Amino acid sequence: MERVAPWLQTSWDHRAAGNFIGGGTGSGLAVVAATSTLWTGEVPRVPLAAAALAIALGLALVWLEIGRPWRFLHVFFHPQTSWMTREALVAPPLIFTLGAAAWTGGHALATIAGVLAIAFLYCQARMLHAARGIPAWREPAIVPLIVATGLAEGAGAFLILALLTPVGDRVALFLAPAAILIRSYVWTFYRGRLERHGGPAGALNALAVIDAPLLLFGTIAPLSLLVGALVLTTVATPLALVAGAAALGAGWTMKGVIVTRAAFNQGFALPHLPRLAAAGKETGARPGWS
Amino acid sequence: MTTPATAVDATRVSTYCYQCVAGPDLLTVRVEDGVALAVEPNFCATPIHPGAGRVCVKAYGLVQKTYNPHRILAPMKRTNRKKGRDQEPGFVPISWDEAFDTIAAKLNAIRATGVLDASGYPKVAASFGGGGTPQSYMGTFPAFLAAWGPVDMGFGSGQGVKCYHSEHLYGELWHRAFTVSPDTPSCRYVISLGSNTEASGGVVGVKRHADARVRGMRRVQIEPHLSVTGACSAEWVPIRPKTDAAFLYALIHVLLHEQPRERLDLAFLAQRTASPYLVGTNGYYLRDAATRKPLIWDRQRNAAVTYDTADAEPALEGSFAVTALEIGPDDVTLAEGELRGETSFSKLAAHMADYTPEWAAAICDVPASTIRRVAEEFLAQAAIGETVEIDAERLPFRPVAITLGKTVNNGWGGYECCWARTVAVALVGALEVPGGTLGTTVRLNRPMSDRIGSVKPGVDGFMDYPFNPTDSKHWSPRPNIRNAYRTLVPIAANGPWSQALGPTHLAWMFLDGTPEGLPEVTFPEIWFLYRTNPAISFWDTAALADKMARFPFIVAFAYTRDESNHMADILLPECTDLEGLQLIRIGGTKYVEQFWDQEGFALRQPVVEARGETRDFTDIATELARRTGLLEPYNAAINRGAAGISLKTERYDFSLATAIPHSRDEIWDAVCRAASAEVTDGTASDGLDWYKTQGFRTRPFGRINWYLYPALARQGLRFELPYQERLFRIGQQLGRRLHEHGMTWWDNQLAEYQALPAWKDFPGLWEKALVKMGGKPEDFPFWLVTARSMQYAWGGNAGIQLVQEVAANIAGHGGVIINAGAAARLGIADGDLLEIRTPQRATRGRAVLRHGIRPDTLLMVGQFEHWATPFARDLGVPSMNALVPLSLDLTDATGSGADLVRVGVMRVGRSP
Amino acid sequence: MTHWVMVADLRRCVGCQTCTAACKHANATPPGVQWRRVLDMESGDYPDVRRAFVPVGCMHCDEPPCMTVCPSTATRKREDGIVTIDYDLCIGCGYCIVACPYQARHRTDRASFAYGGRPSEPEAKRFDERRLGVATKCTFCVERVDDGIARGLTPGIDPDATPACVNSCIAGALHFGDIDDPHSNVSVLLAENRHFRMHEELGTGPRTYYLWD
Repeated sequence: MERVAPWLQTSWDHRAAGNFIGGGTGSGLAVVAATSTLWTGEVPRVPLAAAALAIALGLALVWLEIGRPWRFLHVFFHPQTSWMTREALVAPPLIFTLGAAAWTGGHALATIAGVLAIAFLYCQARMLHAARGIPAWREPAIVPLIVATGLAEGAGAFLILALLTPVGDRVALFLAPAAILIRSYVWTFYRGRLERHGGPAGALNALAVIDAPLLLFGTIAPLSLLVGALVLTTVATPLALVAGAAALGAGWTMKGVIVTRAAFNQGFALPHLPRLAAAGKETGARPGWS
Repeated sequence: MTTPATAVDATRVSTYCYQCVAGPDLLTVRVEDGVALAVEPNFCATPIHPGAGRVCVKAYGLVQKTYNPHRILAPMKRTNRKKGRDQEPGFVPISWDEAFDTIAAKLNAIRATGVLDASGYPKVAASFGGGGTPQSYMGTFPAFLAAWGPVDMGFGSGQGVKCYHSEHLYGELWHRAFTVSPDTPSCRYVISLGSNTEASGGVVGVKRHADARVRGMRRVQIEPHLSVTGACSAEWVPIRPKTDAAFLYALIHVLLHEQPRERLDLAFLAQRTASPYLVGTNGYYLRDAATRKPLIWDRQRNAAVTYDTADAEPALEGSFAVTALEIGPDDVTLAEGELRGETSFSKLAAHMADYTPEWAAAICDVPASTIRRVAEEFLAQAAIGETVEIDAERLPFRPVAITLGKTVNNGWGGYECCWARTVAVALVGALEVPGGTLGTTVRLNRPMSDRIGSVKPGVDGFMDYPFNPTDSKHWSPRPNIRNAYRTLVPIAANGPWSQALGPTHLAWMFLDGTPEGLPEVTFPEIWFLYRTNPAISFWDTAALADKMARFPFIVAFAYTRDESNHMADILLPECTDLEGLQLIRIGGTKYVEQFWDQEGFALRQPVVEARGETRDFTDIATELARRTGLLEPYNAAINRGAAGISLKTERYDFSLATAIPHSRDEIWDAVCRAASAEVTDGTASDGLDWYKTQGFRTRPFGRINWYLYPALARQGLRFELPYQERLFRIGQQLGRRLHEHGMTWWDNQLAEYQALPAWKDFPGLWEKALVKMGGKPEDFPFWLVTARSMQYAWGGNAGIQLVQEVAANIAGHGGVIINAGAAARLGIADGDLLEIRTPQRATRGRAVLRHGIRPDTLLMVGQFEHWATPFARDLGVPSMNALVPLSLDLTDATGSGADLVRVGVMRVGRSP
Repeated sequence: MTHWVMVADLRRCVGCQTCTAACKHANATPPGVQWRRVLDMESGDYPDVRRAFVPVGCMHCDEPPCMTVCPSTATRKREDGIVTIDYDLCIGCGYCIVACPYQARHRTDRASFAYGGRPSEPEAKRFDERRLGVATKCTFCVERVDDGIARGLTPGIDPDATPACVNSCIAGALHFGDIDDPHSNVSVLLAENRHFRMHEELGTGPRTYYLWD
């Protein structure tokens, strides 16, 4: 088939999305857990372990996607410019410190893990941003968006895990609404910039389709539930659980859509059409763009 | 390890590709360890080839073609006696011996009882692919056919009806133009009515037009859809299908009635056309009673003189009383004495008076202002008065051209378009002069290899033309072959090409019912098929396949299984393009844009060893000759030139002993030596080995030979324009002959023989045909047209994966193109599965939405819908051939139809 | 210095895909993988429609995003501007594919052949296992260029030192040469004609120039 207008890239599929989901949620969770440690003085071991697991799972999915999995060590060869190398470099110490903190309950380890997790999350965000062939990814607002949703997912996950395990949930109750609000704002900002600057129509459509559901289920619902949990203490736990799940699910949906369904490539465009012996119009062509 | 194409140690073998008439292209093939790896241009040919030695995309399919696992690699015989699309043939491998035995037994049985059947038709028939290209691959098979005697080559596979038919025939009559081209290297303005040069002009056409575009040549492309040629043109003018004649008539109207007369090339018209010839009231030239030569009015003497009076000053316009004869059909004197005669030019002007741009606008759906502007640009660019020196001869320079595409220049309306085109360029003197509109080859006139040499004096000051006779003494109601071209189509002539340029669909149609007056049309006892697949490439393909299934014995030279050899009894695997050996002529002036500054010969040689049990065509032909006792005449035919060049002339003698069989290499070595001698005027006699290493040999071909004008001027001849007295006479005589034998079924066609053709409602003919099929025009609102695919055309390469892959980059190859707006109104989305139907037939394909097509038009590129050819049968691409009916109503006087049909569209599935 | 560039004259290109086919021959790419191809672009609405043919492939950018993102350093840029891929280093992560704004990179994970699972003789001969599971793209026929230079030939002028697509182009639309040489074929073309580069706003500095006037 002739392809001129942007089409959906197929190099990175749901497995790559899985890395951004697992890695984002895991690193977000690690950051919230570390914050919780600093705030409460208690090391939330289960969330820390879960964070390590999520990040590792995400990376495992990537490993499944690459064409030459047994050359995976080559991923470390280009720290000078490659955000993938940098992500890969941060991942082992991050997973190790997360595991160690969960195992030992050491405050320092948890704190270091939190710092590494921020770095990891940032790497993931910059990784998408550096993919210049995908207009929905290279948009600079993708960086705060990926970070914000990672934190919102982490807070959501922490809420769930904190409620299911004997660790304090106060941090998450405060952090989650903030992260959800910031994410919502950045999402709107991100979409607004894409709309303003133009992008592949297919990408914009894919993002537009999830806009209202994200607002409803990813922002309004969890925020309302969290307010409810603060007010209605008798049902606080189930409300907070659902709120956490909503925050988490919204982030996963958003990233799944960004990495797979909105990942229209650049397509082709001509600023000028060839001038053929005084043919009428030579202004350019850019099929498939908004 | 991948071997890059750069490896210097790989062997490059030179050969040629002549898969389409726009060839040959000279190429090299990289070979490593006996395996062909890659096709590359032959840069050694850059100095002599107008396309700089480059090679067309089709040639890149040849490596896959050689190694295609679906190839037939051994002779096969059919085991299922039943034939039909629904019948599995049950082909089983046999030895070559058995294959030859079977075929020779049939042939010898025929020879024993006579080569003609009771109807007088040849018992042996043969069909080859379009444009004569198979002849560049069939070695000495033509010598076998010549040795055999009468062979019916009139069962068409597209040629004759889907070609530039009217252009071929009328073009040769008017300016030795089997094909017509602008003088692209120096042309400045081209009006192209559907001429798809960028898809059909080959490497040379593409290169020359690209150079011309960059140089500033302006081309206006007038066609229902925006073709690749339209894309490369300065302007696209969408026009309603089959109304091109109206556009051209309006253009002529503007030239004749809206511009000062002196802006036309009056000298050209007066001296080099029949414009001053006086026409009598019965429509025939007024002639001098003593010499019977047409008369003109001499303004100097103020009297009528014969056209060839040296110092006459012809009156171009006016009506004059002269003493003359008016001779009608069958040599009957219609009038004599003091007669009133009007000049041909005046008759033309009067004829065109009502064909205004406003009149045409309503027919063509093109604004009158556009028609007027194009006409004015054409006139302005004609540079009337300018001259240029070519090969030390000063010639008029008229850098404007009008070209016509398929469906414009064939079928009903083809005559009118070709006539109007030729008249329009003649009005500005741009016919056969530098920069102008040129013919580029002859196929009906002789000699075929020398277009200029074919200019010989004929009647009335025009070039001679080998019309088939229509006088009562020589015309015959008993045709030599089944399509009856000699009986029905005088302008088809009677040369080696005439059979395939007759009404080739009539042979197919008449198999199921011979019309009154003709001997019963019979099935040939043996039918040879080579590089042709009429079950795909002709019309009403389902009906055609059904007829083929009733042929008693078919021998198919087979590359892979296909839809036509599905009905065969014997499959013979021949060496394909990269395996066989043959020497052909190159250069000079050939088809389309192939007019070179060189002429000579090129060799096709085995690049790799023949695969399986495939055999070289020459060896097959020799063996058939041997087994049928025809070795003597077969070798004699080769000696006479059946392999492309005479082996014995006054200057050299390389002739073969006729009593014994010769190997392929012996035969072609002799041919190569003769070619060397011809090219070097006898100084060289290098043989096959020389060509194997050098690839080709040429000598300069003077550019003066591109133009007919000097040859006409030298002989004092005129272009037979604008008034068609001879055609009118022939039409009248033909009508009489047919009616004398009770044949009235050709009457509609007889109406085409008009001295000044009038516009007829050509689209209406197709609408009437639709109604006759049982449809209402409103239910079938689309015109379905086709367009050339450069990647596929003539290549027989629908089964080649590489070709399919690269062709898919060009819109429309995967389905049917429909206007995006029209599709939206019908709720059709890109990729939806559509059924396109006539009242009788239907085909299916995916919708390809584009803006560059008229809302009332659909386009199917190329010819597909294969059901037997491996790989191709899985493509699911539709073909208009399944829908176009075989119809006498849609057959014009030349025996041609057009790729056009009214269809309805319905969505039958969503985009996957 | 030498910097190789490609120049495509859009006034000349007819979309015939000869370069596409020639590239497939020269580089033995598997079915569906086209390092060089020609786009069939349409713009406008009926009847005011234009159609243009645009050769595309790796643009060998000055600032190749594919190289920046590559985690393995498989993608590199030579001094002469040719962007290369080391098949032995590449891990096939596909990051370069999504980083390229010209859709020039491909990855095939399984061997595929023109007619199903079994290679023909030429396909078997030219099959390169190293190309499976890694990124591939137009190389500007770098072996041909290097080999030609080593033999004293001039890329862009001598066919044996020139990319196959350029050699094959029947319209004379494709040109290859050294942009740093002011007298080179490409420099002259760029000086004499108006041109643009695709997606120039992305700052990749593509080394393919399109002539349009």
